[in-house]
Amino acid sequence: MTAIPDHLGQLTVDRHGDAPILRGPGDPSITLPPSEDALRRHTRLDDSGRYRPLSGARTLAAGWQVETGEALPLERAIEAVYPLALTHLRLHAEGELPLVTLDDVLSRQTGRYEHAARLSHSGRNRAIRLLCGQCVRIPVWDGRACTPGAIPCPEPCSVLVSLCREAALWENDPPSPASVVPHVAFAAFDEPGNELREAFLADMPPPPGRNTSSG
Amino acid sequence: MTASLVLAGHGSHLNQNSSDPVWSTAARIRSSSTFADVRVGFWKEEPSLSRVLDGCEAGDVTVVPFFISDGYFTRTVVPREMGLDGPLTVRGPLRIRYTPPVGAHPAIAGVIIERAREAGAGPGDAVAVLGHGTRRDSRSKKNVYHMASLVREQGPFARVEALFLDQDPNMLQLLEIFHEPTVVVVPLFVADGWHVGETIPDDLSLDGPETRRAGRTVRYTPPVGTHPTMTRVVLELAREAVT
Repeated sequence: MTAIPDHLGQLTVDRHGDAPILRGPGDPSITLPPSEDALRRHTRLDDSGRYRPLSGARTLAAGWQVETGEALPLERAIEAVYPLALTHLRLHAEGELPLVTLDDVLSRQTGRYEHAARLSHSGRNRAIRLLCGQCVRIPVWDGRACTPGAIPCPEPCSVLVSLCREAALWENDPPSPASVVPHVAFAAFDEPGNELREAFLADMPPPPGRNTSSG
Repeated sequence: MTASLVLAGHGSHLNQNSSDPVWSTAARIRSSSTFADVRVGFWKEEPSLSRVLDGCEAGDVTVVPFFISDGYFTRTVVPREMGLDGPLTVRGPLRIRYTPPVGAHPAIAGVIIERAREAGAGPGDAVAVLGHGTRRDSRSKKNVYHMASLVREQGPFARVEALFLDQDPNMLQLLEIFHEPTVVVVPLFVADGWHVGETIPDDLSLDGPETRRAGRTVRYTPPVGTHPTMTRVVLELAREAVT
């Protein structure tokens, strides 16, 4: 059993009292009931009420705490916020965490996501940099080193696959960029104004033959 | 050796309610202590289907797909992501059983009838069993037709028909297909998510649970997947898988 670190992603474990208290970022102003469901529901949304499909995104709601114990063991509380994080920490520490690369994940896709495998090598790296750069999990599947206490990520997630699918379409037929619209859903990559979409498009090289000079 | 249960669901990148029925069913089963270990895995949420068995070291695992139809997701996506070979996969010390989806269980017909009755449906009323359907997979519609047939046999209603969101007979023809004064629409969906909560009410111009239009009444019920009976359905599928 790997010891649970005092800091994990954006979580802090306060062990000064009788029972460990799990806290989100910032000073706690509310205490959540000791319920896995309540904690999951609370941390599923960011501070602006936007859904967080990527559990590791550095947008964890601020200002909450929950007392762990018999009703909500610390392990279950962390599992509600960062699913499988403790399992992956333990397996990684034991050298037993199986890794799967983005190339392998994209090549096994079918149906709507089959097109994701057409994303170029540079596009894949751009997607990894933009999405994984927002996540507390370390993509050890991409060869990144996992520092002690950091959460290893063993396999590209479905959000990254979805971004790669859209990005492959953009490479084929680049859409016009738009201003970022903060309330657009985090993973609505097909919607103009999506933060990651606009960042990706802004970072794409111009198509061959397109005159980019302004003068 | 432990016995583990995995509920395999779809989840969503865009709607935070989509996975609720899977989480709540898992919580009810966990509190019953029927299984030593109860997990959930999703196609589009975390934990992912491909990693949900991480840390599961030995024993019997039963995977129950929390899907309505026995189609693309249950036959292609879930087995591929979880590395399943069929009804039984032996992977080292793990024996992984894979059951049919919850939506194909005969008890679902009873849930549809219950949903219709909760909405006040009686012998003179019509019931529309509303499924997703897709032109891309002909298997998707089969279970919707099958459930409509069971409801027709088991329920007291004047008329029962299958309708679809994404294929014919389309839900937009609701008031042309049915001529009864009251039509109760029961979504054969897992969650009160994007379709049940947004696209269906919008496309049918529903005012809420009850809509009056041209002297007729359309009642719209919660989806079958949020009904507490789903817990019993999951446990029956898991039991049937080992017998």
